[in-house]
Amino acid sequence: MTTTLHKPAELQQTVPPAGVTRPKRLGQRAVGFFMALPPILLIAIFVGFPIVLAFGFSIGLTGGLNHTIATIGQNVHEADAWWGTLAAYQEMFTNKRFLGDLLVTVIVTLVSTATVIFLALGIGLYLKLKGGRMARLLSGLAIVPLFIPVVIASWAILTFYSGTGFLRSVFALFGVDFPVWAFTMVTVIIGSVWTSLPFAVLMVSSGLQSVPNAMIEAARDAGAGSLRTIVSVIVPMAAVPIIIATTFTAIGIVGSFTVPYFTGPNSPNMLGVDMSNYFSAFNQPQQSAVMAFTVFLIASGIAALYVWANFRSAKEQGKA
Amino acid sequence: MTIHEPLTKPPVSPTKPGTPASGGGLTIRGLHKILGGRTIIDNLDLSVKEGELVSLLGPSGCGKTTTLRMIAGFLEPDSGSIEVEGQEVSHLGAENRPSAMVFQNYALWPHMTVAKNVGFPLKLRKMSKAEIKDRVEAVLELVSLLHHKDSKPARISGGEQQRVALARALVQEPKLLLLDEPLSNLDAKLRVKVREDIRKIQQELGITTVIVTHDQEEAMSMSDRIAVMNAGRIEQYSTPEALYARPETEFVATFIGSMNRLEGSLKDGLITAGPDVLGIRPEDVILADAPFAGAVPATVERVVPRGHFQEVYVRRADALLRSFVNGEPMRPGLRTYAGIRKAMTFRDGRLVGEAGAAL
Repeated sequence: MTTTLHKPAELQQTVPPAGVTRPKRLGQRAVGFFMALPPILLIAIFVGFPIVLAFGFSIGLTGGLNHTIATIGQNVHEADAWWGTLAAYQEMFTNKRFLGDLLVTVIVTLVSTATVIFLALGIGLYLKLKGGRMARLLSGLAIVPLFIPVVIASWAILTFYSGTGFLRSVFALFGVDFPVWAFTMVTVIIGSVWTSLPFAVLMVSSGLQSVPNAMIEAARDAGAGSLRTIVSVIVPMAAVPIIIATTFTAIGIVGSFTVPYFTGPNSPNMLGVDMSNYFSAFNQPQQSAVMAFTVFLIASGIAALYVWANFRSAKEQGKA
Repeated sequence: MTIHEPLTKPPVSPTKPGTPASGGGLTIRGLHKILGGRTIIDNLDLSVKEGELVSLLGPSGCGKTTTLRMIAGFLEPDSGSIEVEGQEVSHLGAENRPSAMVFQNYALWPHMTVAKNVGFPLKLRKMSKAEIKDRVEAVLELVSLLHHKDSKPARISGGEQQRVALARALVQEPKLLLLDEPLSNLDAKLRVKVREDIRKIQQELGITTVIVTHDQEEAMSMSDRIAVMNAGRIEQYSTPEALYARPETEFVATFIGSMNRLEGSLKDGLITAGPDVLGIRPEDVILADAPFAGAVPATVERVVPRGHFQEVYVRRADALLRSFVNGEPMRPGLRTYAGIRKAMTFRDGRLVGEAGAAL
């Protein structure tokens, strides 16, 4: 039997000369930078800069580019110190209408987000633990709102629950006087849940699906019933996608406009609607900017939770 | 230097095989399972005595894991009964069975520390915090992992994770310990160590244990008895020694150890054509440089060094045979004499006889 000689592996390696690679890498880096530049510039000029201007306007810096809007707008508080003034904030935070709207916004956001995540968890867990055609049908149905424009859905919800709507008509047949939910916070919450559900279901159920079945079986083997398995193993293991879904849902609802504008009452209503009223109907752009920054502050708080969740997930992956 | 000659000598087992003990251990009768229109488990009977370690050994898809999952309660059998210590459990869910399982990928919950993982089954039993702590520490001590009790599973090595999974099963003081391919994710060296650890702990605690494995070496070295499975049935259920020395079917003979498989029969040390199948263990092919009774002249064709022994292919006039040889290294082309010490004869896949030359 003959044996063939194998060349040592090191000889087969080709080492490119150092001088060739470096300029190329620098070139690649420059290309990457210029490719990333347009979106960065777009955001900086058309989003970032107006935010800075609006913040300046809200604290009474009415000169420069804010001059025109300060001239047109009514009830504008002008800066009395070099850094500005908090007079507009003070006005709004002593304004009963605004405080009521703020409270409504917070309540609608909390109730709707809790409902959305509860429903998404229910559908996701049903899909994970039971599976089958019914579960797939349910999770498929939950995605439907994604394909129906919010304006149309809001209108549908409004007519369904209105004084002469379907629900009340059906109840009236049986002699029951069902309450009118149209133009109340109830329809706003129903509408918010409707619009936010698809994304939350997608995110939460994919998070739950990624929990390995062996982990669930291990819990059952240890003696855990269904509820215990869900609480102690499945939900904690899918915590990061659930938190991310919660933050996205909450941020979406806190700044919503279409649903409360169509289906909500005149007052109190959510800040999105109020902002629009102050800006166009009342011609008080500075007060509108104050509201915008209040919503922005709430959203930032929620976003911090999102960042923390991402950080936690990165930490877990780094550990593995 | 130590002389290893365990190729034909399996480890000593403390319990001898016999008739199934009623009451203790595990008794399976007439187990049947069809999945996706295919019969996975076909009328399977198995009895494991109290304190015994039994391996379910077989190739992929033979139904060994399905059997284990039915014992654990993750799969419902179509028919048949499963008794643990005389108590019928087949109607119970996994959470109510007196068995504990060690999963192939360990299935440690990543968000809990080692101590929380191990303590979880006790927490479910509503034990006091102090008692949980004591018992968790005792069992972690047993698997020598007490120093890792506050680590997250991702922070410890594969072998350590394996031991945590074992501790989580042992802490439940199960009547039946189930292990699903417990060593398949460990590297070769660690595998030998961990299997010795598992065997030692199992014998110390005297827990009735069922292990699923596709690795014959693992099964041979750990088990009191091995059930070799093929196509949803048990081909043979006996001690490792018996399995190797007297395989009842051709499948078992080929699956356990290695074998020269030749068609024909053995007559006066020579292989002659015939309808039967001959199985000759490589260590039963004897090579010598001088003629001896039953030997036939042969030429060495190929030599594969295997560490402390060599695998030698020799060409005789009647057949090409594989032999395991100790001692002086052999070279291809070497003229030698080859005799067959023992051969098994199979007809229609079943052992019908043994023929041996007086060597």
